[in-house]
Amino acid sequence: METFLQIIASGILLGGIYALISVGLNLIFGVIKIVNLAHGDFLMVGMYLTFFLFTLYKINPYTATLLVFPILLVVGLVIFRLIIKPLLGKSETEVNTILASAGLGYVLQNLALMLWKSDFRAIETNLTGKSINIGGMMLSSGRLWAFIICVVVALVLYYLLMYTKLGAQVRAVSQDTDAATLMGINVNMIYSLTFAVGIGLVGLAGCIIMPIFNVYPTVGTYFNTLAFVIVVLGGLGSFTGALVGGLIIGLVETFAGVMASAELAQVFSLLLFLIILFVKPEGILGKAARV
Amino acid sequence: MKFSKPLVIFIILTLALVIAGFSPIPVYVKHVLILTLLYAYMGTAWNLMCGYAGRLSLGHSAFVAIGAYTTIILFRQITLSPWLGMLMGGLLAVGVMLLIAYPCFRFGLKGPYFTLASIAVMEIVQNLLTSMRDLTGGSLGLSLPYKPTSLALFQFDGKEPYFLIILVLWFIAVALVWKMERTRYYLEAIREDQDAAAALGISVNKNLIKSAVISAFLVGIGGAFYVQYFRYIDPATVGGFSIALNLALVAIIGGSGTILGPTIGAVLLIPLSEVLRMTVGSQLPGLHLLVYGILLVITIIYLPKGIVSIPGIIRARKIRKANLALTGSGIAGGSGADE
Repeated sequence: METFLQIIASGILLGGIYALISVGLNLIFGVIKIVNLAHGDFLMVGMYLTFFLFTLYKINPYTATLLVFPILLVVGLVIFRLIIKPLLGKSETEVNTILASAGLGYVLQNLALMLWKSDFRAIETNLTGKSINIGGMMLSSGRLWAFIICVVVALVLYYLLMYTKLGAQVRAVSQDTDAATLMGINVNMIYSLTFAVGIGLVGLAGCIIMPIFNVYPTVGTYFNTLAFVIVVLGGLGSFTGALVGGLIIGLVETFAGVMASAELAQVFSLLLFLIILFVKPEGILGKAARV
Repeated sequence: MKFSKPLVIFIILTLALVIAGFSPIPVYVKHVLILTLLYAYMGTAWNLMCGYAGRLSLGHSAFVAIGAYTTIILFRQITLSPWLGMLMGGLLAVGVMLLIAYPCFRFGLKGPYFTLASIAVMEIVQNLLTSMRDLTGGSLGLSLPYKPTSLALFQFDGKEPYFLIILVLWFIAVALVWKMERTRYYLEAIREDQDAAAALGISVNKNLIKSAVISAFLVGIGGAFYVQYFRYIDPATVGGFSIALNLALVAIIGGSGTILGPTIGAVLLIPLSEVLRMTVGSQLPGLHLLVYGILLVITIIYLPKGIVSIPGIIRARKIRKANLALTGSGIAGGSGADE
């Protein structure tokens, strides 16, 4: 029973981290309706930034979020202007943005390979290897912090989307671009802002997971698939869905990892992903839960 | 048979390749030629489903891996001739494709959802191959036991036989796509408007599955060739995103949904990346792939129909200019098809 609770607790923590990684992807899909295949590679960029801030300037990964988030926000703005915007409103936008972002991901991966070689890099903070005992369950400090930050980010984002004027504009654009334009909303501005925030958030996730995972040029590929599984499971474009999806996959992977091997755990969640795609592509929460 | 322009290009290209392959050129150049033909061949197969039918797969390396692993495992375990292994690999790729394509088309998966499903299939195959350590050697991969030159065992010491085999495969693939004229039109109609195509009496699912099956079979055979030629495979190289994206790259940069587009893309891209790898690969690993990525992004933004569309664009521009000159004003004219 105790191990069971332990697995559940670890699963929930992992799920929170996964949700944080996916939330930017989901935001971008929900509002701009494009699939960003380079999502995981921006996570990789965030992780490397955190790594170097820590090793070169002794900046704590959690403090580094204050730098990495704005940096990737700007990167997101530039990428949107250069690559995404020229493709919007043309024929086959959906497919073309997938391909362009896949190309972008390839560029980022190989840039990282050129600059920093394929070595695995990790950082050792004062939290490394520490765990906290809560009611008999041992929880890794790094993961617990990551989970808490994920909850905070989710609450802030939810507040911004639901209770501010800008959030209302974002929701309006997400629902109906034409109507939003007619209401005087600058759709282009909302798009670039959303894209930038989505990229910024995944950079922030990079900071948070740096104390837990190694970074290497293709680390994004692993998390990319995971992020897509999570957002499709929860419903592409559904904000609460990303959280639910993250928790489900966190639990499934932790359980399957204990029962079988890590590879089979991934196969299991991918099969789940395919089944959801086939029978309920709008996600388990359905359209009702959108944003 | 009437000699259309692409047919002339095809014949010239084939002859040029035959001559190049058997002329006394350095071994390394021959290697690049083989690689180019392999990607031209697999790109052509990719193009049938993903270019003509517009079902973009970024997970086709799953079928490369299935073809490759089937061939090498059958050879290592029961010394089955790689020629038969190749066939088995192709058939197994078809089996897996049917398993996935049927529900995909049945449930009407399109656009980004289809692409995501294809990536998931690739990851599943890759993970399964890694986890079946006894049979596949896990992530360490498998190498082909060396045998002296033997046609029956599909192993040769020189490069020429490999060149000839891949040339024939490529020729068959291009000719096959060429002969499937009616299917090509059906697939294009389905890509442009599935409901309208169905209303015109085109059997949507049948044609989509046909294209998927042929595509998987050819790519599976390509995987078998890959393992016989490179003699070593592991799940990440043969079944990873890199090969999957490369297939899409050669087809899209050349011109997806055209018969010779993938070949033209491969002829331009593969030598370029090999030269980059040879010259600066040791100092700057990944530069050749970086260039791929940049080229893909630029092509998608500025030339979404690929290199084969350049003559058409130039012609359209000329016509527009001529019209402008005729009417003498900048307002009228412009009958040229603009992108």
